[in-house]
Amino acid sequence: MAIVSVKNVSKDYMLGKTVVPALRDVSLDVEPGEFLSIAGPSGSGKTTLLNLVGCVDTPTAGTVVVNGRDTSALSERALTDLRLRTLGFIFQSFNLVSVLSVFQNVEYPLLLQGGTTRRERADRVVALLDAVGIGSYGRHRPSELSGGQRQRVAIARALVTRPRIVLADEPTANLDSKTGETIIDLMKEMNAKDGTTFIFSTHDPKVIAHANAVVRIADGRIAARESPRAAAGGAP
Amino acid sequence: MSAHRDTVRILLRIAFRNLVASRVRTAIIGAIILVGSLIVVVGSSVLDSIDRGMRTSIQGSLGGHLQIYDGRSEDQLALYGDMTGESRLEPIEDFAALKAVVAKVPNVKQVVPMGIDQAMVSSGNAFDIALERLRGDVRRLEAGEDAPELRASYEAHKAHVRRMAGLLKEELAQARTIIDLQGKDAEERRQDWAHLVRAADPAFWAGFDRDRYGSLEFLENKIAKLAMEGGFTFLRYVGTDPKAFFQAFPLAEVSKGEMIPEGRRGILVGEQYADEWLKLKNARRLDQLEDAKDRRGKKIAKDEEMQRWVRENRSGLREILLQLDPVRAEEVASDLRAGLGAPADEDLEKLLARLFDTTDENLHRHRALFYSAVAPRLRLYQVNVGDVITIKAPSKSGYFSSVNVRVYGFLRFKGIEKSGIAGMMSVMDMQSFRDLYGYLTPERAEEIRRMQADLGAKEISREDAEAALFGGGGEVVAESKARPIDESRLVARGQAGPGEDLQARVYSKEETERGVALNAALILDDPRRSDETAAAIRAALDGAGMGYREVKGPNGETVRSGARVIGWQEASGIVGQFVTLLRVVLFTAVVIFFAIALVIINNAMVMATLQRVKEIGTMRAIGTQRRFVVVMLLVEIAAVGVLFGLGGALLGGGVVALIRAVGGIPATTDMLYFIFSGPALFPKLYATSVAGSLLVVLLVSILSALYPALLAMRVTPVEAMASEE
Repeated sequence: MAIVSVKNVSKDYMLGKTVVPALRDVSLDVEPGEFLSIAGPSGSGKTTLLNLVGCVDTPTAGTVVVNGRDTSALSERALTDLRLRTLGFIFQSFNLVSVLSVFQNVEYPLLLQGGTTRRERADRVVALLDAVGIGSYGRHRPSELSGGQRQRVAIARALVTRPRIVLADEPTANLDSKTGETIIDLMKEMNAKDGTTFIFSTHDPKVIAHANAVVRIADGRIAARESPRAAAGGAP
Repeated sequence: MSAHRDTVRILLRIAFRNLVASRVRTAIIGAIILVGSLIVVVGSSVLDSIDRGMRTSIQGSLGGHLQIYDGRSEDQLALYGDMTGESRLEPIEDFAALKAVVAKVPNVKQVVPMGIDQAMVSSGNAFDIALERLRGDVRRLEAGEDAPELRASYEAHKAHVRRMAGLLKEELAQARTIIDLQGKDAEERRQDWAHLVRAADPAFWAGFDRDRYGSLEFLENKIAKLAMEGGFTFLRYVGTDPKAFFQAFPLAEVSKGEMIPEGRRGILVGEQYADEWLKLKNARRLDQLEDAKDRRGKKIAKDEEMQRWVRENRSGLREILLQLDPVRAEEVASDLRAGLGAPADEDLEKLLARLFDTTDENLHRHRALFYSAVAPRLRLYQVNVGDVITIKAPSKSGYFSSVNVRVYGFLRFKGIEKSGIAGMMSVMDMQSFRDLYGYLTPERAEEIRRMQADLGAKEISREDAEAALFGGGGEVVAESKARPIDESRLVARGQAGPGEDLQARVYSKEETERGVALNAALILDDPRRSDETAAAIRAALDGAGMGYREVKGPNGETVRSGARVIGWQEASGIVGQFVTLLRVVLFTAVVIFFAIALVIINNAMVMATLQRVKEIGTMRAIGTQRRFVVVMLLVEIAAVGVLFGLGGALLGGGVVALIRAVGGIPATTDMLYFIFSGPALFPKLYATSVAGSLLVVLLVSILSALYPALLAMRVTPVEAMASEE
C-alpha cells in the first residue's frame, strides 16, 4: 500500500487577478522505502507537489493521502501534528534556527513531540550527529558551519523523529556538486538503513542518477515515471 | 503535558536567545520601557505624596472628610476661596436641626459648624498707642499719685508724643507743597495745619500741665486722626465652635496665648496672617530676608526682590522711631552702638539705618541684634494677646456690622505653618460670626426691639426689610440694626466699650449650635468609607425632609433646596482640584509617551518578525503549532517589558531616594507649602506605584507585540520552502 497517494490533484495560485495553474491533474503513488526524485525545470511544479505531500499546502482539487490520512480533511493543527510525527523536512537553504546550537536544532522536533527523556533525546541526537558525520559539532552554532555541514544537521533534524517520509526540496541546490553528491549519498544511506521513504526534488542530473525512481514533471503535469538510469541518460 | 513543558522551555530559550542576538533592538525597546516605567514610578510616587500632603492639609485644617452646605447657594462651597473671593453661600438656617439628623448616621464622628468669611481689621496706629500711654500717666497723676518713676515716665511719654507731632508736621509740610490748597476741603486742610503747628509749638507743651486732660483731648481729637496711617487689612476667619474645631482638626494648635474659653466670644488670629499683616513691617522683611536666604538659598547680592526689601527696610524707620519714646530710644541706641560697633555720637536714626543695611554676610547677626535689642522695646504686632479688636464686615444685607472680640491667642496649623492658604485663617466664635454675618441672635433681636421702641420705629421682619427699605413709604430702619461705627474705637484696647459685657458672656453649647452656619464639616470614624457614609447622610436628610432637591420652577428655572453633601476634595475648590489637575497632566504625558512607545516597539517587533519569517516558517513546517509561535513572540517582548520595567522601577526608586536624600522637593510658594503639607515634599515609594508601573509597562509591551504576533501567526510553512532565488 502506498505511503503517499496523490490522486487527480490540481493546484492553482492567484497571481494578482490571474489564475496560475501550478499542477494539473497529477496522480502519483509512492511506496514505502522508495528513494524518489521529482525532477523538472524550475517553475514546473515540483515544489508545489512536494508542499502538497508535505502537508504545508492543500490542493485545489483532488486528494492527497499521506500515511493513510486525507490531508484536505485535516485541520491546521492536525496537519501540523502530522508534519511533526510522520514527516521530516530538508530545505534547500538548510533553515536551521540560528540562535540554537547544532545539538539543540536536532533536538527541537523531539521536544515538540514530547514523551522522551533528556537522556533518550541526547542519545538519539548524538547518534544521529555521528551518523551524518558531524558528531563533534554539537555545540556549534549553525553560522559556524559550512553549507554541507549545515545540510547534514538538517538531515539529522529531519530524521530524529524517525519519520515515515522525508521530504527534501532541492537539498543540493545551495551546495557545490561534490558536496551535493555526498549529501545525496548520506540520504540514500539513511534510506537503506531504516527504510525511510525519501522524496526529493531536483533538477541536477547527477543527483537524479542516485535516485531509484524518478518522476519527471513539466508544466504541472507528470511527464513520466522512469528508472533512474533512463532518467539520467535521457537528461539533456 | 510534558510535551508542552518541553516546548515552552525551548521556545523560551529561542525567545531569550533572539533578544540577546539582536542586542541593539532589545536595547532600544528596553530603554523606552525603562524610561516609561521610571516616569510612571517617580511621577506617581510624587503625586501620591502630594495627594497625601493635600489630604493632610485640607482634612486637618478645614475640610474634614465631608462637607454639608445649603443647596440654595449660588456658588459651590470653596473652603479656601475661589477666583472671586469667598463663595456665596445661603446659610444653613438651623445648624442644630441639621446636626441632629446627621450625627445619628453611623460612622459620623463629629459635625462642626462653620462660617467662613472675610472681615476688616483696623491695623491701628502708633500715635494712638503713644497717646494711650500718656493718658495712663495723666490719669494716675490726676488721681494724686506722685512718684519719681511716674514723673519720669510721664515726661518721657510726653516727649514721645511731642516728637511724633513734630514728625507729623514735617510730613504734612512736605505734603503741602503738592496739595492744592484752594481746592475742595481746603478749609479743612488749613485747620489741620493750624492744629499741627500748635501741637508742635513749644508753648503748647510748656502749658501742657496746666490742663492735662484738655491738652490730651486736643491731641486725641485733632491730631490723632491725622496720623491714621494704619488703614484696614482683610482677615479671613472661620466662625465655629472653637472646642469642636480643635477636636476635629488635629493640625490646629494655639501657638501663643490660650484657647478661647468654652462658650466665650473670642478670636484666635492666624499666625501667618499676623506675621504678614500685623507685624512691624521691618521685622517682617527681616524674617523674609532670612527665609529667602536660608530656605530658598537666595542671595541679597543677586536677588532683586531681596534688595528691594533691604531698601524698604532702610527707608521704613519712621514706624520704629514713632514707637520709641525718648527713654526707650536711648536704650535702643546704646545697645545698637555696642552691637554694631558704631561711633558714640551716632544718633538712633543712623544706627537703625546701619542695622537694616543688611548684606548676605551680616543678615543673621543684624536680625539677631534686632530681635534682642530693638524688638522687645517695640509693639511688634499691632494686635497682641489680650487685646480686644474691632472687626467689621459687610453683612449679608449689605450694611456694615462690627463686633469687638478678644484676641485669646494665635493659631497655626502644624506642618503647614508657612502656608498662606491655611495659615491666613483665623478662628472665631460662632456668635461673633453670626453678628458679622448679619444674623439675629435672640439677644440681638431683643436689643434691636428696645432700640426700635426708643426710636419709635415699627417692627420689620428680616424678610420684609428690603421691601420696607426700598418699597417707599416707611421710615429708614436699617440703621438700627447696624451698630454705629465709632472710628476712635476701632482699636479699643482694654477700654470699656459696648462689647465688653458680651465678652464676659458664656454661651451654652446649645446657643452656639442653634442658629445659622454656612457649612458643616464632618469628621468620620473611618474616612475610607466616606462615599458610603455620604450616601447614608443623604438618605437620612431625605428622610427628615432636608435632602437636596432640584425642581423645575414655574418659569423653567431650576429651584434648589435642602442640604448638599460633598467630599472634602470637592469642597476645597480650586486648591482641591490641583492634584486632580496634576494627575491629568501626568496621565496625559504617560499616555502620550506610551502611545509613542507602542508605535516604536510595534515597529521594531514587526521588523524583527519579518526578518524571521523564514525561521518561523521552518519551525511551523517541522511541526511547531501556531500558538507556540505567538507565545514565543509575546514571551520575548514581555520578558523585555518585565526586565526593563523592573529596572526602571528600581531606578525610579533610586531617584525618589535621591530626592529624599537631598532634602526633598522644596516648597517655594505658599501654595506648594500647603500642597506638600510642609516645607518640602518627601516623595515616598508606594508599592502600588511600582506595581502600577510594571502593569502599565507589561500591558504596553504586550499590546505592541500583538500585531507582530498576528503576523507571525500568519506565516505559513510554505515560507520555509521559498528558495533564495
